[in-house]
Amino acid sequence: MIFTLNTGRTIQQGNNVEMKYHPDYAKEVSRCHMNPLDMLDLGVMDGERVRVTGPAGSVVMYVVQDETVSHSTVFVPYGIYANQVISTETHGTGMPDFKTTEANLEPTEDSVLTVPELLRALGGMPYVA
Amino acid sequence: MLHEDVVCPFCACLCDDLKVETDNGTIVKVDNACDLGNHKFLTDDDHRLKEPIRRTPSGWTSATLQHAIDRTVEILLGADRPLLYGWSGTHGEAQSIGVHMAEVLGGVIDSTTSVCHGPSILAIQEVGHPGCTLGQVKNRADLVVYWGANPIEAHPRHMSRYTTYTDGFFLDRAFKERKVIVVDIRRTQTAEVADEFILIKKGGDYAVLSALRAIVRGKSDMIPATVAGVTKEQLLRIAEMCKKAKFGAFFFGMGITQTQGKYKNIRNAIELVDELNRHTKFTLTPMRGHYNVYGFNEVCTWMTGYPYAVDFCRGMAFYNPGETSAVDILARKECDACLVVASDPAAHFPKDAVRHLGEIPTVQIDPYPNTTTAFCELQIPVAVTGIDAQGTSYRMDGVPIRVKSILNRGYPTDTDILGEIYRRIKEAKRV
Repeated sequence: MIFTLNTGRTIQQGNNVEMKYHPDYAKEVSRCHMNPLDMLDLGVMDGERVRVTGPAGSVVMYVVQDETVSHSTVFVPYGIYANQVISTETHGTGMPDFKTTEANLEPTEDSVLTVPELLRALGGMPYVA
Repeated sequence: MLHEDVVCPFCACLCDDLKVETDNGTIVKVDNACDLGNHKFLTDDDHRLKEPIRRTPSGWTSATLQHAIDRTVEILLGADRPLLYGWSGTHGEAQSIGVHMAEVLGGVIDSTTSVCHGPSILAIQEVGHPGCTLGQVKNRADLVVYWGANPIEAHPRHMSRYTTYTDGFFLDRAFKERKVIVVDIRRTQTAEVADEFILIKKGGDYAVLSALRAIVRGKSDMIPATVAGVTKEQLLRIAEMCKKAKFGAFFFGMGITQTQGKYKNIRNAIELVDELNRHTKFTLTPMRGHYNVYGFNEVCTWMTGYPYAVDFCRGMAFYNPGETSAVDILARKECDACLVVASDPAAHFPKDAVRHLGEIPTVQIDPYPNTTTAFCELQIPVAVTGIDAQGTSYRMDGVPIRVKSILNRGYPTDTDILGEIYRRIKEAKRV
């Protein structure tokens, strides 16, 4: 099913913004908030996982039931997970489509990658003190 | 030791009424801060990078400060098109060294502005900025509009310091008199405290702003029964609330800078405010994110004439967001070296832009290890402005505030490190 991916700030994302290797950061920014009716249509339950695929690629996230999210949209706290699917296209403005990326969601049994795993997949070398 | 009137270096509210208690070089208590501010002060020491580090094929190893500076200078001097990115989490004095450095190097300098309120600036350049200080809003505004903004999560004290929950000098019973309108595509926590919440369909901001402009202009007969999911009745009611207000303050967030239309949405919002000023007094303020992202725009503008995304490759300042902005330059693999200061693009840029950071020599100057560290050759830790470094910051309304240092953790400041790198670059370039 196609959804509009909407990213934004949350308190927990803000609290962990200087602690990107802490599990709390990954926990917050890998949450895909969905309307319960959309969850029913997609056949997923709270806490299960979805593969989110957009123009730049795909990533697995946890589903969080959220009545405040509108039909056919999903909300993901701003961060490294959402950015796995968002394109670099800025339409001549410098600003990517952080709130309007069309993404396909499908239930999956695949695991949610950790932040170091995501970084390694992009050629990075995570720093662990 | 108790430090009073401490300025919080988290968001662009720059709350300047914090009380912070330190004991033997440790922060032990913070009063008056929000959850984000508390967390920033109380957990800061747990996550600092202790010394410069460099990447080797087998992993990370420590480096001397001298080596880190030598190598950074070598990388920047050896690059044809270096990108100097970040700058929103440091003080204005360091930002100004960055702009000088970009000019001498013939590089590109951009700040996190390009991925937050860059579109707001593009709109302001088209139609102007009917702004005011937050003090004016606090003391006069009897109507506050938050459009595409969720201050309860992103700027938690904005409502208690400047709008909904604060007293106003020219308002008798501000708490009761002040009305709040929230516009969003989801029912955020901020929507829960609104007198009127407008739930619009995704991507409907431009249409709803246009409808409100038409109603305020007296053309309500041309408005259909619903606009982007909003009923005509509600639009008429909102327009009336705005016109009847003695002083309205419009705040907007990334909910309209990052949706389709981008800067055209903001232009429409400014023109709605312009329209409302034919009936009453109305102002508009972007809800800036980082505590000194506005500062970079100020510094860069007074030094180059442009607020961000400035390219010096022609030997003069050239500005064209979409071409000279960081995401675009990285996506086109155009830069051949990158200096990241006080931000974390690897967490906040689309992944194909991030990938290029790892393909070129990248150096980061930042107090904390973050996701960008993984793509760097070197990282130099520095003091945190507002904790162990001081400097000038600009609040979201453009008011400069001196941010204090409350203890010494033995780190050099951004100004120290950048100043030395700049001195060495000038020496090599003989300028």
